[in-house]
Amino acid sequence: MKFGNLIIAGIVTGSIYAVFAVCVSVWYRVSNILNLAVGDFAMVGALGVDNLYRVKGLPLPVAVITTLVVVAAFAYLYDQVVLRLAQDGRRPIEGIVVTFFFTFALSFFIDGVAKVLFGTDVHAAPTLWGGSSLTLASLNFPRAGLLVLACAIIIGGAFWVYIRFTLGGKALEASGENAVGARIVGIDTRQYRRLIFVGTALIAAVFGIVESPITGFTYLSGATISLTGFLAAAYGGFRKPGRALVAGLFIGVLEALLGGYVSAQYGDTVLYAILAAAILAWPRALGFESAVSG
Amino acid sequence: MNQFLAAPSRAFQWSSAVASSRAARRVPRGAVPPVIVLVVGAIIVLNYGLLYTGSVFVLSACYAIVTAGMAVQIGFSQQIAFSQSVFFGVGAYGVAMLNTHLHMSVLLSGVIMVVAAALVALLLGSVVTRASGLALAVATLMLPLIAVGYVSGTGFLGGPVGAPLSGTLWPGSGSTTLVALGGGLIVVVLLAAVMFMASRILSSDIGLELFVLGVDERTAAALGVRTPRRKLELFVLGCVCAALGGVVYAGTQQFVPETVIDPTAELALLIMLFIGGRRSVFGAVVGALVIQYLQGASNWVSVNILIVEGLLLTVVLLVDPEGLSGIVQTGIAWLRRKSGPAAADGELAAGAAWEARDDLAGLSLSSMLADSLPAENAAAGPAGLGGATLLEVRSVFKEYGGLSVLHDVSLALPDRGLFALCGPNGAGKSTLLNVIGGSVAPSSGEVILSGTDITRRPPHERFYQGISRTFQAVHLIKGRTVLDNVAVACLASHTASIVTRIGRSRLDAARAKAARTLADLGMAHLADREVSSLTLEMQRMVELARALASSPRLLLLDEPASGLSEEQRQRLAALLVTLAERTCVLLVEHDLALVAQVSERIFVLSGGHLVFDGGPADFRSSPVVNSLLVGS
Repeated sequence: MKFGNLIIAGIVTGSIYAVFAVCVSVWYRVSNILNLAVGDFAMVGALGVDNLYRVKGLPLPVAVITTLVVVAAFAYLYDQVVLRLAQDGRRPIEGIVVTFFFTFALSFFIDGVAKVLFGTDVHAAPTLWGGSSLTLASLNFPRAGLLVLACAIIIGGAFWVYIRFTLGGKALEASGENAVGARIVGIDTRQYRRLIFVGTALIAAVFGIVESPITGFTYLSGATISLTGFLAAAYGGFRKPGRALVAGLFIGVLEALLGGYVSAQYGDTVLYAILAAAILAWPRALGFESAVSG
Repeated sequence: MNQFLAAPSRAFQWSSAVASSRAARRVPRGAVPPVIVLVVGAIIVLNYGLLYTGSVFVLSACYAIVTAGMAVQIGFSQQIAFSQSVFFGVGAYGVAMLNTHLHMSVLLSGVIMVVAAALVALLLGSVVTRASGLALAVATLMLPLIAVGYVSGTGFLGGPVGAPLSGTLWPGSGSTTLVALGGGLIVVVLLAAVMFMASRILSSDIGLELFVLGVDERTAAALGVRTPRRKLELFVLGCVCAALGGVVYAGTQQFVPETVIDPTAELALLIMLFIGGRRSVFGAVVGALVIQYLQGASNWVSVNILIVEGLLLTVVLLVDPEGLSGIVQTGIAWLRRKSGPAAADGELAAGAAWEARDDLAGLSLSSMLADSLPAENAAAGPAGLGGATLLEVRSVFKEYGGLSVLHDVSLALPDRGLFALCGPNGAGKSTLLNVIGGSVAPSSGEVILSGTDITRRPPHERFYQGISRTFQAVHLIKGRTVLDNVAVACLASHTASIVTRIGRSRLDAARAKAARTLADLGMAHLADREVSSLTLEMQRMVELARALASSPRLLLLDEPASGLSEEQRQRLAALLVTLAERTCVLLVEHDLALVAQVSERIFVLSGGHLVFDGGPADFRSSPVVNSLLVGS
């Protein structure tokens, strides 16, 4: 049953990648910015709850809510100050500078602050659903993994319902397809940029809290999470959240299988080589052409 | 077109840079920044070489060698490849291994590793540079990830511990003082050499090619830039600079930690580049210095370096996306304006004169026809219609997925005359133009130019065979003058290698040819204007001038009149008719009256099928055309 357990592990990691990939690509659609700081919000979520609960001794629900409020307030402030100056001024900054480098600087800043607040050791938010793995027909279902999966399904589903069935979701689609056109028909694209930025920061923080018991986080873990989200979003063509979700799951499963069957040590290396080859072989099919010209 | 709504930026700086470079001809092109670095660097190394200040300077000079290459590849040409830290590692680890295991001197092993890096980059680059834009970024992002996995997994390179070496950059043995100062001086000399090379490339005619490539790859190809080759050259250049930086790093630090190759190192290099100013070689060097010195500025800063770097990058980019060098340039321009109000007035007056003539009233068509069209073309056949067949499109099909965009389209055009391509939206007009221009490959069928099958030839080759085109939306190069925009089509650099431009630049020749074309069109007064400051009509005229500058045999114009007023359309129509006496013009146009007025033959596409092919009289009376285009 090694195969089955690897698949389960792969789906759990894959669903984490998928959620971050969806966060990256939804926000890219409305803002044309790749959020390289999304993983840092996850790290702040996990280490913030750990710090407030374990070190400061606050009750767990209070610790969770306080952390989420701080994350949301910070994201809101960042949008109001930095992104507004960068994108909404008389001379909006265009191209790679704004696509990559503002959130890249943000990521450095958050990591630096986290180092001061949380130190450099490995910590994790407390396990929300403790106990040994559930077993079914010799397949192992770790509880933390199931919780991650449940959160992924709930958040992914809510996103889907929002985009598919609400007016706000339609407006969001429109801002992604054509920002100027959306503005002409009266959609405030800046409002969506802010809404999605704060929303994805919160989702990332929640995921950091449920995910951290599996892996453990340091103040530098954010970069790795952002990277996997960025990669999975890339294979969804950056603008297609649905494809990003599938790509995230696929990469997670592939990683688990390579780790289990090819080499525990070089599994990731092989994975990255496969991913690089895939882009070069089918840039159009993976949606890169549209991402580049769009 | 909305890209032109936001008016930038450095128009006058470009033109004034050109002017000052012409004035100061005695100083070799691109020599000033490297000489500054050489002199200041030598002074710092010789005075403080054994102190903390000096050692930080040498370390930042090692990184500056890398960032100078990045300024050319990533900043100026916008080819974002995350390959620097890996090739830095190739240089550094290579020297450490050759020195430790084969007891080679650092200098010899450094030369070997730089050559090896160039070969590996050539091999790797020929694969990865097939990707563009974000695809290139993501594909090369895998390189540091793969490299980290390999290095930490294998014991040979020292794993997570790192690799020490005993050799030094300074050849031979001597006192520690001599070794430290000599090694530092070698680094400074190499840095100055890399800067000199980089600035000369950027200020040459190939520099202009690279700028266009960075702004818009498709336009670059349509203007004859051999984009695959340039992208490969840029990749190799970036990798070689990175490897050289790695070599001198190993030779001066005597230790190669695993952290030099991980993605964080790549990010650190990018921060240096963007803080210093991505398009400026000097800025990239200053960025490396700033970041390295910041880290040692105080205990608090070195502990909280992430916060400082994050804040600094945000603030600098908000103030000016071109980084510190952009801020300094703006400051200098401001000081000039302050100190010389008379000069500023003159500039304003000149600007007012431009505004006054900001239309086509001054067009001198006769002089243009006398000079700008090629003599060999004029003498190619007997005057009048129906000369030799220039272009043949033979049963071209194009499908996207299952969708048929062009279905069995055939047409033939003679070597002169004005022809129009009409059809409702989505009929396949632009696709047919793209098939002829080479940016879209047909699913089947052939494109023949003067008897030569060019179906599989890339766009830049078709440009040199005489096909010139404009795009539906204006595709001018923002941030450059009208003169440079036209000069792009006059470059004779397509077969030249990037390395040859460290020698002589041929930019002045291209600019002279462009100036002649502009003068012929009565647009000489616009030469120094930045293109996004022009009206739409003038932008379209600049595009037309650019398309004519290469003396094309076949001119493809995609809706040149869209967005123009009736009066402007009539002026354009008159110009096109005059042009068509000497060259073949194929026009995509929606304005049926204009089409019937000027063209001698009209093709109508509908749903990918060619449904009409005839003269203007038939066109007016054809029931097919009426039901399709007039809608009655």
